[in-house]
Amino acid sequence: MSRLGTLWVCLVFGFMYLPIAMIALFSVNASDVMAFPLTGVTGQWFAEILGDGRLGGGFLTTLAVAFPVALLTTLLGAAAALALTFYATRFRVLFAALLLLPFLVPRLILAVAQLILFKELGVSRSLLTVIAGQSVIILPFTTVIVASVLIRIDRRLIEAAADLGASGWCSFRRVVLPLMGNGLMAAWVIAFVLSSSEYVLTAFLSGRQQALSVLVASDFRFDLSPSLNALAVLIVLGNIALVVIAEAIRHRAGRLN
Amino acid sequence: MRPQSAGNWLALPVVAALGALCLAPLAILFAYSFFSVDFVTISHDPSLKNYARILQSETYRGLIARAFGSGLLVAAITAVIGYPVAWFLAKRAGAAKTMLLTLLLVPLYSGDLLRIFAWRVLLGAEGAINRSLIWLGAIDAPLQGLLFSPLATHIALTYNYLPFMVIGLWLAFESLDDAWLEAAADLGAPGRDRFRRVTLPLTAPGLIAGGLMVFVMVVGDYLTPQLLGGASGVTVISAINDLFGTAFDWPLGSAIAWTMLAILMLCFGAGATLIRRSSLVAEGA
Repeated sequence: MSRLGTLWVCLVFGFMYLPIAMIALFSVNASDVMAFPLTGVTGQWFAEILGDGRLGGGFLTTLAVAFPVALLTTLLGAAAALALTFYATRFRVLFAALLLLPFLVPRLILAVAQLILFKELGVSRSLLTVIAGQSVIILPFTTVIVASVLIRIDRRLIEAAADLGASGWCSFRRVVLPLMGNGLMAAWVIAFVLSSSEYVLTAFLSGRQQALSVLVASDFRFDLSPSLNALAVLIVLGNIALVVIAEAIRHRAGRLN
Repeated sequence: MRPQSAGNWLALPVVAALGALCLAPLAILFAYSFFSVDFVTISHDPSLKNYARILQSETYRGLIARAFGSGLLVAAITAVIGYPVAWFLAKRAGAAKTMLLTLLLVPLYSGDLLRIFAWRVLLGAEGAINRSLIWLGAIDAPLQGLLFSPLATHIALTYNYLPFMVIGLWLAFESLDDAWLEAAADLGAPGRDRFRRVTLPLTAPGLIAGGLMVFVMVVGDYLTPQLLGGASGVTVISAINDLFGTAFDWPLGSAIAWTMLAILMLCFGAGATLIRRSSLVAEGA
């Protein structure tokens, strides 16, 4: 039973990493055609991507969106997680349902709805609208990450602080905040990653300045070149590094408590 | 500061942000669904015409039914694939658990676009799978139907959302006490009965939660069918996109969008009720 389970898990994880492995393989394959047999090793595709000024500009636009989105969603997610887990609000169930809503609504529907709202308000599309739109769909994720750290904090620490005469604010700042710090960092990193890879909302809400994901999508539709593999590898590696850091931080939070 | 009022103050900015950027847009979309298009302007006389059109149109009814069919199909496939994985992660992985969970989530963060791109490289006529099959002598000519087909779409959808199913199931397996299974075995229940009458009912909440997540995301997926489905890539979501773009019929697009939202909310409500009921069973066990 256990051996069969191991085999199945290996197969499933193989399935999860097969596409990524394939991209990595073709990103260094010296051929225009993305097909077997492989013909040799080249760094040409990476050189092409790194020398592409248009993609470089897109990357900077992505950063200009992802930094504020990550900051905003971490702060709001922390507030939401505190309200859900630590300080009982009266409308907890309703509040949780509201937080879940952006996750439940199909992205494209949310994107067109926001587009109509901005049009009715006379707000023209810009990076600000992208930041606003992305923040809403990333908020549920940061909330869950911060909440997963908060629920592991021992409540007796706060009771002890109160018994020792600490005010609500003081015990928050000196006890809760240091313990949730790791959760905040993990949430920030994940939000950054999610923001940089979001396509639908970015494409619908951005104006003239186009982020990397939008540029990649148009390349992808019109000319499928091996240099896209190289770009994909760079993005995946960057994301993997960030996610591994975030997970490490979050688990360190678990051990500290 | 009393805890209750602190909680309300903390919730306030979150509610304001979600109200302005999620509830308000959806409310305006709802209002638009009762308007109509008059040549190139939008007439604000409210009517139910758009909803009547959806009900009468076989195309839209078919697209909506197909979206929900795909959702159910992919939820079922991910459940079958993910169930043993979740069991293994919770009960057999031991020290490797944390690492395996992280590994499971990593592909998720590479973004929809890159994953779709990878599947295109894999499934194309000159792609890795076709070439390998030819090399192995299994086929003579590349299988043309692999890419740009419902098959390609559903493979990629399964790939995209499998981790969500595994996480839902894993949480259920984590809270499954092995003592119940030992008790069932002591009482002489054979393996099949132990699974059917103990394991399955006790992990049902996770199964429903994971299934619901996968279902909702498959129904709302725009890019995957669009970029991998070829002619079959026309979905109800892409129809909404067309109505807001080239076809310029925002009111009809809004009505279809709200029809989808209403059905999704019903499914979600039903799922939440089922989860609550099956958790009660799990607690009472």
